[in-house]
Amino acid sequence: MIRKEAIEVCLGEIKNKPIISANGFISRDLFNVKDKKTNFYMIGSMGLASSIGLGIALKKPRKKIFVFDGDGNILMNLGSLATIGKTKPKNLIHIIFDNSIHESTGSQPTGSDLIPIEKIAKASNYQYIFKISTRMEILKILKKIKKIPGPILILIKIDKGNSIGDRISRTPKNIKEEFMKNI
Amino acid sequence: MTQEFQKQMFNFLEKKGIKNFIGVPDSTLKNFIKEGIRKKKIIIATREEEAIGISAGMLLADSKSLVFMQNAGFANSLSTITSLIQLYQFPLIFLIGWRGYKKNDAPEHTKIGKIQPELLKSLKLKSKIVNHQNWEKNCEWALTENKLGNSCALIIPREFVD
Repeated sequence: MIRKEAIEVCLGEIKNKPIISANGFISRDLFNVKDKKTNFYMIGSMGLASSIGLGIALKKPRKKIFVFDGDGNILMNLGSLATIGKTKPKNLIHIIFDNSIHESTGSQPTGSDLIPIEKIAKASNYQYIFKISTRMEILKILKKIKKIPGPILILIKIDKGNSIGDRISRTPKNIKEEFMKNI
Repeated sequence: MTQEFQKQMFNFLEKKGIKNFIGVPDSTLKNFIKEGIRKKKIIIATREEEAIGISAGMLLADSKSLVFMQNAGFANSLSTITSLIQLYQFPLIFLIGWRGYKKNDAPEHTKIGKIQPELLKSLKLKSKIVNHQNWEKNCEWALTENKLGNSCALIIPREFVD
């Protein structure tokens, strides 16, 4: 399963809930799978999707907030796992699409095949951690997390390979304003 | 001690509607941070860019935010400021402790401290230098910029070398 397919499966369960997506192909894939007003496409500031998600989750404790992260992105901001672990947002669901490469910049290795990110999250007090790789598992876990407290990490091992979709055509200001109006 | 105004400054900004204070500790700002910790209103981030990301999330939830950091951490954050805060037009207040303001500050601070005004100018980030006499007026200025939807910076220079 490549990233875009995994995102399609996730959206089937997440539906209209807020998603903060990491820069590069993750945001582009999300935009092409299902553009919606509750998507915040972080088109720059690599590494910070989980931090943005944390900020929203802390201020909107009754809403489930999803982060679509990448292995390269989280490795750039590992401190975020510690800050999430110490502030303990129950409503934060941190999904990492892990293909062990920086696919957006030409498929250079990230090292996530050698360093288990899920173990770092575990040591950082994430309440539940799931490491999965199939459609069936994604569907099962996304149903399960409706009833358990976060912070939750779902690490989805995906295959390398990309289907290049359109660039995000909305302006950053429009992305922000629509997100704020609709969460 | 003139730095005592920082405590009043924290309480003033909080009273005026700033809900979130996120950042990385700096000795120049320690009285501001101490008051925030006492009131359980501070989140200490691991890096300045992370603090900016968390505050952007809080602003997306329509909750007013300030980030605090040392000028060295501000310099670390330039690309996050341009590609997140300015790109999406987030109204964020920066509170920056300025090391290297005095020429005889510790050697690691002198070069980055010297270019601090040029960094602000290059970013076109409006700023005011804050001291024990003008802090209230400059906080009002920052709150007005904030209401207008602009990001801005309040700078507290390190006036002493210990």
